[in-house]
Amino acid sequence: MKFQIEDVTVYFPYDHIYPEQYAYMVELKRALDARGHCLLEMPTGTGKTIALLSLITSYTLSKPNNPVKLIYCTRTVHEMEKTLAELKLLHAYQTTHIGDRARILAVGLSSRKNLCVNSRVLAAENRDSVDASCRRLTASWVRAAAVANPNLPTCEFFEEYEKAGSNAVLPPGVYTLQDLRAYGKEKGWCPYFLARHMVQFANVVVYSYQYLLDPKVAGYISKEMQKESVVVFDEAHNIDNVCIEALSVSVRRQTLEGARRNLNKMRQEIEKFKATDAGRLRAEYNRLVEGLAQRGNLPFTDNWLSNPALPDDILKEAVPGNIRRAEHFLHVLRRLVQYLEGRLETDNVEKEGPVGFVASINTHAGIDQKTLKFCYDRLHSLMLTLEITDTDEFLHIQTICDFATLVGTYTRGFSVIIEPFDERMPHIPDPVLQLSCHDASLAIKPVFDRFQSVVITSGTLSPIDLYPRLLNFHPVVSRSFTMSLTRDCICPMVLTRGSDQLPVSTKFDMRSDLGVVRNYGRLLLEMASVVPDGIVCFFVSYSYMDGIVNSWNENGILKEIMQHKLVFIETQDVVETTLALDNYRKACDCGRGAIFFSVARGKVAEGIDFDRHYGRLVIMFGVPFQYTLSKILLARLEYLRDTFQIKEGDFLTFDALRQAAQCVGRVIRSKADYGMMIFADKRYSRHDKRSKLPGWILSHLRDAHLNLSTDMALHIAREFLRKMAQPYDKAGSSGRKTLLSQEDVEKMGDGILNEMQY
Amino acid sequence: MNNGNGRRLNGETEEDDDDEGSEGDLDAWERTYADERSWESLQEDESGLLRPVDNKTLYHAQYRRRIRSLSSQATTSRIQKGLIRYLYIVVDLSRAAAEMDYRPSRMAVVAKHVEAFIREFFDQNPLSQLGLVTIKDGIAHCLTDLGGSPESHVKALMGKLECSGESSLQNALDLVHGYLNQIPSYGHREVLILYSALSTCDPGDILETIQKCKKSKMRCSVIGLSAEIFICKHLCQETGGSYSVAMDESHFKELILEHAPPPPAIAEFAIANLIKMGFPQRAAESSIAICSCHKEAKVGGGYTCPRCKARVCELPTECRICGLTLISSPHLARSYHHLFPIVPFDEVSSSVLNDPRNRLPRSCFGCQQSLPNPGNKPSLRVACPKCKQHFCLDCDIYIHESLHNCPGCESFRHSKSPIATEE
Ligand code: SF4
Ligand SMILES: [Zn+2]
Ligand SMILES: [Zn+2]
Ligand SMILES: [Zn+2]
Ligand SMILES: [Zn+2]
Repeated sequence: MKFQIEDVTVYFPYDHIYPEQYAYMVELKRALDARGHCLLEMPTGTGKTIALLSLITSYTLSKPNNPVKLIYCTRTVHEMEKTLAELKLLHAYQTTHIGDRARILAVGLSSRKNLCVNSRVLAAENRDSVDASCRRLTASWVRAAAVANPNLPTCEFFEEYEKAGSNAVLPPGVYTLQDLRAYGKEKGWCPYFLARHMVQFANVVVYSYQYLLDPKVAGYISKEMQKESVVVFDEAHNIDNVCIEALSVSVRRQTLEGARRNLNKMRQEIEKFKATDAGRLRAEYNRLVEGLAQRGNLPFTDNWLSNPALPDDILKEAVPGNIRRAEHFLHVLRRLVQYLEGRLETDNVEKEGPVGFVASINTHAGIDQKTLKFCYDRLHSLMLTLEITDTDEFLHIQTICDFATLVGTYTRGFSVIIEPFDERMPHIPDPVLQLSCHDASLAIKPVFDRFQSVVITSGTLSPIDLYPRLLNFHPVVSRSFTMSLTRDCICPMVLTRGSDQLPVSTKFDMRSDLGVVRNYGRLLLEMASVVPDGIVCFFVSYSYMDGIVNSWNENGILKEIMQHKLVFIETQDVVETTLALDNYRKACDCGRGAIFFSVARGKVAEGIDFDRHYGRLVIMFGVPFQYTLSKILLARLEYLRDTFQIKEGDFLTFDALRQAAQCVGRVIRSKADYGMMIFADKRYSRHDKRSKLPGWILSHLRDAHLNLSTDMALHIAREFLRKMAQPYDKAGSSGRKTLLSQEDVEKMGDGILNEMQY
Repeated sequence: MNNGNGRRLNGETEEDDDDEGSEGDLDAWERTYADERSWESLQEDESGLLRPVDNKTLYHAQYRRRIRSLSSQATTSRIQKGLIRYLYIVVDLSRAAAEMDYRPSRMAVVAKHVEAFIREFFDQNPLSQLGLVTIKDGIAHCLTDLGGSPESHVKALMGKLECSGESSLQNALDLVHGYLNQIPSYGHREVLILYSALSTCDPGDILETIQKCKKSKMRCSVIGLSAEIFICKHLCQETGGSYSVAMDESHFKELILEHAPPPPAIAEFAIANLIKMGFPQRAAESSIAICSCHKEAKVGGGYTCPRCKARVCELPTECRICGLTLISSPHLARSYHHLFPIVPFDEVSSSVLNDPRNRLPRSCFGCQQSLPNPGNKPSLRVACPKCKQHFCLDCDIYIHESLHNCPGCESFRHSKSPIATEE
């Protein structure tokens, strides 16, 4: 259908539109008009992605004079492919309406692992080795050597791509990763480099968060993006964590040992070059004197990681004299590694600010702040000079230089924390030194500054006023939308008491109470006997899950549960978990029924959907607070309080509740779906906790469901499931309009316009 | 009195799925006792006596909804109906059947309504046969073979009412598949599964079994007793059956009775073909013969196969000796109405009733009882769109559900145009 929102003609590829999609578009359009940033919360299953894509592409079509580019960031490759598939559909629709004018170029960009088509390279195992194997074939010196000696292996796809030169472009269209690979294979061009090249010219780019937020990657991928871009962060409820992770580094013993090995290897290389090709080292020295260490003049393929600090903070000067010579630089690094080793030898937890830490490096190791700051660029230059292609072997020394550069650059918003062992396992020594960033606004600031509009959107952004404070920006629009439903297909409940009427909670003092453990067990058992197909359980942490499952096993509840359904457990091992998920789905498909145990904040809680019969019920056992004794968390809380005036309690509750909402939100992915959500902890009944849940859950949480015991919840579940099993009318019973046709929208559009004029 | 009426009304129209009304303020646990709120179905009449609430209009409303949905299906085109059905009823007697959310237990409720269903089934499908299978301890048992006698099925079921263990859908389907696969091709193979459990513990891949059933054109339907199960839904979708879940006992009854009228024929079967049938004569009262079904000597009664002269006890059946289908002519006649259903009657709107210019009949054409003028309340009379005669609500239901003939139209056909003279 096609309709007007003010001066924009929106092309929408479906015959009907949900009212909330329409409202979403209207708000989005206002933000684009105002060239500002916005925050939009809308539950999953309401077609957020298509609404976004339709509006932004239609916006460009309606204003051909200043076209905007769309940069769409997703968390996973799967989401990326889904987004591109929707865009493809939309594009086909627009083409039928306005023909060639709708022409766009849209590409997805991912790592080499997902795009490489060279079968020899693909045989390599993880991402780093695909990257490294590719570099081994494509680094400039390798290719130069190959010209002289045709027996040296190169990548034929890259060679073809290079040969095509400026002819190597993608024709307009929408390319998913799969399409890119197919196209690359057909033409004999490397899809990865082709996509990286086309990103600058594309109208729509879909890639992962890191490509914009992590300065190490953003520096070479997203440098050339135009200012007139709309940046969308989808599923952005954890964006603050992505930001701080991008600027945090942790150093362990293994890192330091590896770094020493790397340094030795580099020394040998230097010796070798001195003997055979001393000119090279001298040339590098001269380059550094002239301050050419910064990138920009490097061949395409040699460019792999940029400075970990943010672009504005990087000094545009020449590398300091004391590390220009390769041997001197290695000396400096060796001293640094030695110093860090010394710091790890502690028995106490230590916390320091970056300024103090740098000062103590200076006194003990004699390395000043400016030198530290240049470590990363200097290392990069050296590795190029030494023609090192096995970049994944040199990760350790890169981590050290990462650390040095960050700690030398930033004076606020960071702390250095040294812990001799994991708080939860004090008997196992595992010293770790962490440079942790507390300020999410640092990493995202360049994005806000650089681009015209930034859209942050997700199903759970409540409370919506907290994000602008955490990320330190001023949205022109911030709104939360609810879901219009033809029937009450979600049933949230707060369970405060067990079947014996005693309160249940994972609060610290009640956690190991046997009564609570038993009550939780009985809750699951009873639910397993009335809920068909799949049930998903979330626990607050791995250790809590292990503990409670053990006790259920001991007192026989687990066995009883297994009479109703099979049980699968998420572990920290990705392969194992994937296998468990697979079997879980199979058990749901064939009618055996299954329960999946997983952990809030785990991999499953973030990225895996349990829609339809794969999740008729999700139980959140406890409130998933972060581990509050963690030193890093405490430091972050302190910083948030001092800098943004966010109270510790508020932040912790906010963080716990968004995780809980994220977990329970896994069960409902579309409007035709239905599912129940049980928040099993007495603390959820308190207003300050509950009110932080997203509006679309709260609006279904009836007062009568706020303080339930197991038997009451059981009755509600029985009745809900019966009701949902009845056939229903998709268009909605009379009165409630949940699907709008083109006509309806036209009428509404007038109404809204009128409303705006007065 | 209005109060009680209102509450009842909400209780009855539950499936209209808007529960914002007074239903909403009952807690779930309270609703579980709602069945026993018998005091609420009492009302006071003009003279102050207590009387049960008059549910007539309500029942009638429900019935009309049913009729309308049926006729809307029927009008789409002239559909063929499978009149010769071979139906297996699978009763799940696993552990879950002992649950007491239906009073006194799921199993008892199921048995009660299966009995009613069996009688209704033979009433509506005199040419068809039915068998019973139960699932218990993960194994399927054949309780009765296909047969035409309601009594023997009912007796067999009532004798076996105890439950335990797991349920296995696959085992049941395999068993039934084995039986139904031998049925001659003109017969419609159907399975009706009454499923209490929420899972199925199968020895093998049930999806394969479902494909097998699909291939043998078995129409599988499931009525669940507690919640929607994916595999059941899948089974019904694949095999063209219907899947429903009962809200409560009365809903269950309604759902099971929906399976009594013959379903539309599956497309591949829709080729008309002729079937050989025998109409045996009832043997003389005093004759003694050994019947072929029970292998016993019997005095009197029974029927003789017109082709091989074997004796059988009951009709309809298949002759054991020569395989001829044996029925009696009333059976055949009763099957006809499914092919020629009578149109639903129209409600006479109160505006027509209140219009003094209309001279309307004062009594029901069917039973001759007087039809009161209801004033502003919903109309209590309906009219046949063909013969324009008015009927009371009881007659309406009786005509459509049992009689399958409109008395108005029939008398019109016999005595020439009584209406024309009236006008
Ligand atoms: S150049 Fe492209 S195709 Fe060749 S190895 Fe590298 S990523 Fe793979
Ligand atoms: Zn006999
Ligand atoms: Zn015979
Ligand atoms: Zn009558
Ligand atoms: Zn008539």
